[in-house]
Amino acid sequence: MKNETTRYIYYYTALILLACISLAPIWVMISTSFKDEVTVQSSTPLWFFFVPTFQNYADILTGRGKFDLYLMNSIIVGVSATFLTLFIGGFCAYALARARFVGRGFLANATLLVRMVPPAVVAVPAFAFVTLTGLDNDLAALVFLYTAISLPFAIWLLFGFYKQIPVELEEAAVVDGATPLQVFFRVLMPLMTSGYAVAAIFTFRIAWNEFILALLLTGRNTRTLPVATAGFLTEEGVEWGRIMAMGTLIVIPPLIFTFFAAKQIIAGMTAGAVKG
Amino acid sequence: MERGVTLRNVVKAFGPVTIIPELNLDVAEGEFVVLVGPSGCGKSTTLRMIAGLEKVTDGTISIAGRDVTWERPKQRDIAMVFQSYALYPHMNVAQNMSFALRLAGAPKAEIEERVTRAANMLELTPYLDRRPKDLSGGQRQRVAMGRAVVRDAYCFLFDEPLSNLDAKLRASMRTELALLHKRLGRTMIYVTHDQIEAMTMADRIVIMHEGIVQQVGTPKEVYNSPVNTFVATFIGSPSMTLLEADLSGTGAKMAVQGDGFKLPISARQRKQAEAAKNKKVLVGLRPEHFAVEALNKDFAPIDLKVKVSEYIGSSQFLAADVGGKSLTAAVEVGPEAELLGDGQYFFDTRRLYLFDRESGEAL
Repeated sequence: MKNETTRYIYYYTALILLACISLAPIWVMISTSFKDEVTVQSSTPLWFFFVPTFQNYADILTGRGKFDLYLMNSIIVGVSATFLTLFIGGFCAYALARARFVGRGFLANATLLVRMVPPAVVAVPAFAFVTLTGLDNDLAALVFLYTAISLPFAIWLLFGFYKQIPVELEEAAVVDGATPLQVFFRVLMPLMTSGYAVAAIFTFRIAWNEFILALLLTGRNTRTLPVATAGFLTEEGVEWGRIMAMGTLIVIPPLIFTFFAAKQIIAGMTAGAVKG
Repeated sequence: MERGVTLRNVVKAFGPVTIIPELNLDVAEGEFVVLVGPSGCGKSTTLRMIAGLEKVTDGTISIAGRDVTWERPKQRDIAMVFQSYALYPHMNVAQNMSFALRLAGAPKAEIEERVTRAANMLELTPYLDRRPKDLSGGQRQRVAMGRAVVRDAYCFLFDEPLSNLDAKLRASMRTELALLHKRLGRTMIYVTHDQIEAMTMADRIVIMHEGIVQQVGTPKEVYNSPVNTFVATFIGSPSMTLLEADLSGTGAKMAVQGDGFKLPISARQRKQAEAAKNKKVLVGLRPEHFAVEALNKDFAPIDLKVKVSEYIGSSQFLAADVGGKSLTAAVEVGPEAELLGDGQYFFDTRRLYLFDRESGEAL
C-alpha cells in the first residue's frame, strides 16, 4: 500500500515536471501577448501578476497588418495542401498496398527517405522552379510545395492503413456488384477515416507552420501567418507583444482542426475492428 | 448450352507457374457440389475463377447457360461467402445484407422485405442493428450467409466458410447449410479441405490434387470406389492404410499377400485381381473395416502389433505395426473393453481395395 502511494508520487512528480517543461513556453507566449511593451521589457520577468492588456490583439486585428488577409492565405494554403495530399496520397497508398508490381516494397519505403529532406534544402530549387513557372507570389506555389513535402509521409502512413484492410472485403464488395469507385468510396473510405485523419493532421500542421519556403515565395498579398509574424521584427526593434499575440492566434486554427480530426480517428477506430 | 455451371478446358497460370493445367467440370442446376483437396490443390482458385475474382488463362466458364468467362463478378449472378466472412465492419447486419441490393438500386420496400425474410431464416432478426464486431463467430458466419441469401443469386459460392469456427459450431452450421440448400434449391459450389464437410453436405464431390480433378462422384462413390490411392487415402478418417502386396493363387484360393499378412480376395474383386495377376499391387485397408472378431465368413484374420491404442468412446483407434509398416485400425468395442493390445484381429475382405503399385490407379 505504502509502496503504491510513493510510486504514484514519483509518477506524478515526473509527469507534472514534464508538463511544466512543455507548457512553460506556451505560457510565456500567451502571457507576453497580454503585456504592454514596458512590462515585456521589464528587467524582472513577470510570470503571472501583471495588468493584462488587449492592445496587442487590437493592433493585430485592426491595425496596419492585414491579419484577415494572411489568415485567409494560411487557411487556403493549409486546407488545399491537405486536401490535395490526401487525395493524391490516398490513391498512391492504395496502389502501393494492392497492386502487384516490381519494386513495390522499395518504393513504399523510399517515400520515407524523401521525407528526410528538410524543406530548407529544397528552398533554392523551389525558388527557381516557382519563378520559371511564373507561380511566384501565387498561393498555388505553396500549395504544390507543401503537398510535395507532405506526400511521402502521407503515402507511407496511409499505405500502412490500407494494408490492414483485408482484400476479401473488396472482393466481397465486387461480388456484391460494386464498381471500383464504389468499392473505394463505400467500403474502403469509411474504414480509412482514422488513417486519413492522422495524415490530415500532419499535413495541415506542416502547411500551417512552414516558414522558410513561405518567406521566400510569397509577396505582400500572399503572405501566410508565420511570415506575417516575422514582419514584427522591425528595424526599430522586436515587437514581442504583437509577435506573441500573433503566435497565440496562429495556434488556434490547428487546435480546432486537430480536435475535429481526432474525433474521426476515434470514429474510425470503432468502425474498424476489421478482424474479429 | 446446358444450365448449371460449366467449366470447359479451364487453365490457370500465375506467370510461369501453372496452377490448373486443364479442368472440366459440370455442375447441374440446383446441385450442391463440394470441391475438396489439400491446400494448394487449386480448389479455391477454381472457385475464384467461377466468381470472376480471378481471370482464366484459357478455357470457358458458363453459368446458367451463359458464357461468363470474361464477365465481371457483378454480371455473373453469383453470391459468395468468404472464409474470413468479409463482413463490412462499418455497416450493421441489415446494411451488410442489403449492400448488394442497395448498389443495384432495388426499391426500399423490397430490400426490407428480403432482408427480413433472410434474417428470419437465419435467426438473425434480433441482431439486425448490430455491427459485425459485436457478434459471435457463428453469428458472423450466418450474416455472411445472409448476405448471399438476400441476393437470391443463381449460384452460391462458398470458400471454406466453416473453417474459422470451433468443431461443435461447425457441425451445426453444416446442418444449417444443408437445410439452406434444400430450401433455396440453388446451385451451390463449396470449397473445403475438410473431407467430413464434403462427405456430409455434397450431392457430388470433386476431389482435386495439384490442380487436377482426381475423381468426381457422390460421397458413396468416392468412399467405396476411389479411382486412385490419392482419393482413397484422402476420403475417410482416419485414413486408409496402403500396404505393398502381391497377388497369389487362382479362383477361390486367390489371396493378396504382403509382409506379415495374407488376405483372401473376395468374390466381387476376383475379376480385377485376375486381370492384374502379374502387377505389383497396393492393398488398401480402411481402419473402420477391422473388428475384434469375425462377424461373418468374409472376415479374415490379421495379426497386429499394437503400438498405441486410443479410446474414443464408441471404438478404439489402434496404431499398429504389420510387417514393419504402420497401420491404423478402428475397432468397435463394448463399454467394458480394456485398451486393446497385440493379437489377432479380423478384416472384412469385401471392403478391401486394390491399387496398381506403379500408377496408383484402382484395379
